[in-house]
Amino acid sequence: MNATGLHINGVGAVSPAGWSSADLLRVVRGKEELPVTNCPRPGIERPWPCPVRTVPSAPPEKQVRHPRFRRVSAISRYAAAACLEALKDAGFETPPPRLGILFVMMNGCVNYTGRFYQEVLDNPAQASPLIFPETVFNAPASHIAALLGADGAVTTIIGNSNAIMEALDMAAVWLSCGACDHCLVVGAEECDWLSAEALTYYHEAHIASEGAGALLVSAGGKGPAIQRITGPLAFHSWKERNELIPSLALPASILIDDHDGIAKHDAAEAAAWSHLEFKTRHSPKKLLGESMGASAALQLVLATLESREQQTSVAVSMPGYNTAAYACVIGHSAM
Amino acid sequence: MPSPDLQRIAITGAGIVSPLGIGWKANEASFEADRMAFRPVPSDLFGVEGFVAKTAGIVDLPPKVPMPIKTCYADRGSVMLMLALREALAQSSRSTMEGIDAMIIGTSAGAMSLGETYFETAVSDPGRHRRQLSRAEHYQPQRQMNEIAAELGWRGPIIIVSNACASGANAIGWGVEMIRSGRAKRVLAGGYDALAKLVFAGFDSLKALAPSGIPRPFDAARDGLALGEGAAVMILEAEEVRKAEALADVTGYATATDLHHLTQPDPLGNAAIRTMTQATRQSGLTPADINYINSHGTGTPFNDVAEAQAISAWAGEATSRIAVSSTKSAMGHLLGGAGAVEAVICLMALRGQWMPASLNVREVDPAVKFDLVRTFRRAKVEHALTNSFGFGGTNATLVMKRRSA
Repeated sequence: MNATGLHINGVGAVSPAGWSSADLLRVVRGKEELPVTNCPRPGIERPWPCPVRTVPSAPPEKQVRHPRFRRVSAISRYAAAACLEALKDAGFETPPPRLGILFVMMNGCVNYTGRFYQEVLDNPAQASPLIFPETVFNAPASHIAALLGADGAVTTIIGNSNAIMEALDMAAVWLSCGACDHCLVVGAEECDWLSAEALTYYHEAHIASEGAGALLVSAGGKGPAIQRITGPLAFHSWKERNELIPSLALPASILIDDHDGIAKHDAAEAAAWSHLEFKTRHSPKKLLGESMGASAALQLVLATLESREQQTSVAVSMPGYNTAAYACVIGHSAM
Repeated sequence: MPSPDLQRIAITGAGIVSPLGIGWKANEASFEADRMAFRPVPSDLFGVEGFVAKTAGIVDLPPKVPMPIKTCYADRGSVMLMLALREALAQSSRSTMEGIDAMIIGTSAGAMSLGETYFETAVSDPGRHRRQLSRAEHYQPQRQMNEIAAELGWRGPIIIVSNACASGANAIGWGVEMIRSGRAKRVLAGGYDALAKLVFAGFDSLKALAPSGIPRPFDAARDGLALGEGAAVMILEAEEVRKAEALADVTGYATATDLHHLTQPDPLGNAAIRTMTQATRQSGLTPADINYINSHGTGTPFNDVAEAQAISAWAGEATSRIAVSSTKSAMGHLLGGAGAVEAVICLMALRGQWMPASLNVREVDPAVKFDLVRTFRRAKVEHALTNSFGFGGTNATLVMKRRSA
């Protein structure tokens, strides 16, 4: 088995749309405009705009009460809420035994990393030992594992915005070799001034964002399955990427694309899918912003919700930025 | 016996870069001489003013390593990985990565030094700076690995595993699982990390670094670890497609998560007991069959006693007959590279029929019930096991078997 055939039996999401997958679906379907703010820079004013769309404050019922979560950074809180929602959505009131976790990110715990390094530059002798462990890439996965009592296979993957496809592939390997019975695959990211500014170097119109998308996947179940995957189509340059993207296009009723509203980013992808007709087309990044390691996870959550509610097939386009391009179709086998 | 269904997985190439030397031969010679590699951190890496620790295991890179990445954006860790990769390919009688189905690399910090430069530039001046885009781009480890792949003309999935100090072992284990599941026939897997100021400061802030700069794993009065840097990779191949000589087999792999604490191990080492048990069982072995363990053995008070107790609990009556050492005593803790480097050291031990030493031990900790190897030893090694434990509780165990000529 590879990731084709995996069933997505539960989903959860935290995004600028709110603290649930229902919020995400509502905003995307309604094309609701979400507020954009200028990301403040600590200490000194920035002479250029740095727009961000951030996650709103957590409602009380989404706040995680666990000793590990006393001082965790936002990425862990987003991921925890998304994972808990995905488990509940799959019918698990308590986490099932033999649960694997694959956590995907690009930037990770940037808030604490920036803060700790500033402390080091200011005075190494006073850099906080409480903060440093939270800067480590796999700290969020560790916290989620502790929260859910998952003491088996737990792994963090660093990668491109679509690295969740690599995680799904590994989830399939784990499920087939018996390393776990169910696997939470979560992509998450938190926004801070450093990563938001970095994004503006790619294009000044980028809007940095944050959030988490979680998928509870199993070898069987009632949820829609990943029916087809194209990729990884590995590339070494932007030119090669754009030449490969036409191979991604897959027929389906609905398309969730990767458009961010920046013409030079979107042109190749738009052309690649233009020969296919879709009943509905969503461009979540245009509404939510660029959430890097979380972005493809949120696309897949949306695709699962649409597939479930409309009992139809949904294509997801994930061309990526710097390593490989992917696309997949999610649907029910009886379709 | 291992399940007859289990795919036999051969190691056909390996490369190693460590503070003890670049390449298999240099490292082997250092182990034979019981050599240590600790020295003051040079100022061109980063300043250590204000830190308790001042030394580390540092790789002496050749003055000019051909890299596909512009010098100012090529992370030291990527350079080390490139050197290890070239050695592994040569050993496997390959000039390219053709036929490799996936590249799985573990790192805990990626190109952290580029991130540090990005940060320092950003906080020193709020204006826009020409090189920041390339720094942001090359800070990402998958981008660094993709440029190495481009240099070798290879296109395929590049997977970056980041489970702190277990990253390298998990990457190799992931490669094993990919082959066993039929997802791949050949995988290049390993790990790397270069020294970085942020990471050095982090371990220093935790008071985890030995103030003397000398780590003493399994010594009763050990007072901390020393950091190091390095890289190692292995070419793993399903037996039925193997063409190059098999150096050894990977027979077992297991991973588990210790939920005790973000940075401290469960004092009883329960997750380690599980990974050692599962990995040996997968290999069709009992603890008594294991001749040599390359321990995680950091030299911190908590880690070593937990690992020693875990080995005793797992091995039972066989404990005293199992030889164990920590090569971190000679080269330091290579973090994301440690698991891969230590797996290659096990491979070297299987090939050379020797055991590297745990150096600097003055009085053995009473928790140690195994045969602690305190000087380089020539010995029969048929099966070797290596443990890796990381921040966040990731535990990984690999078991390897000698290939008879």
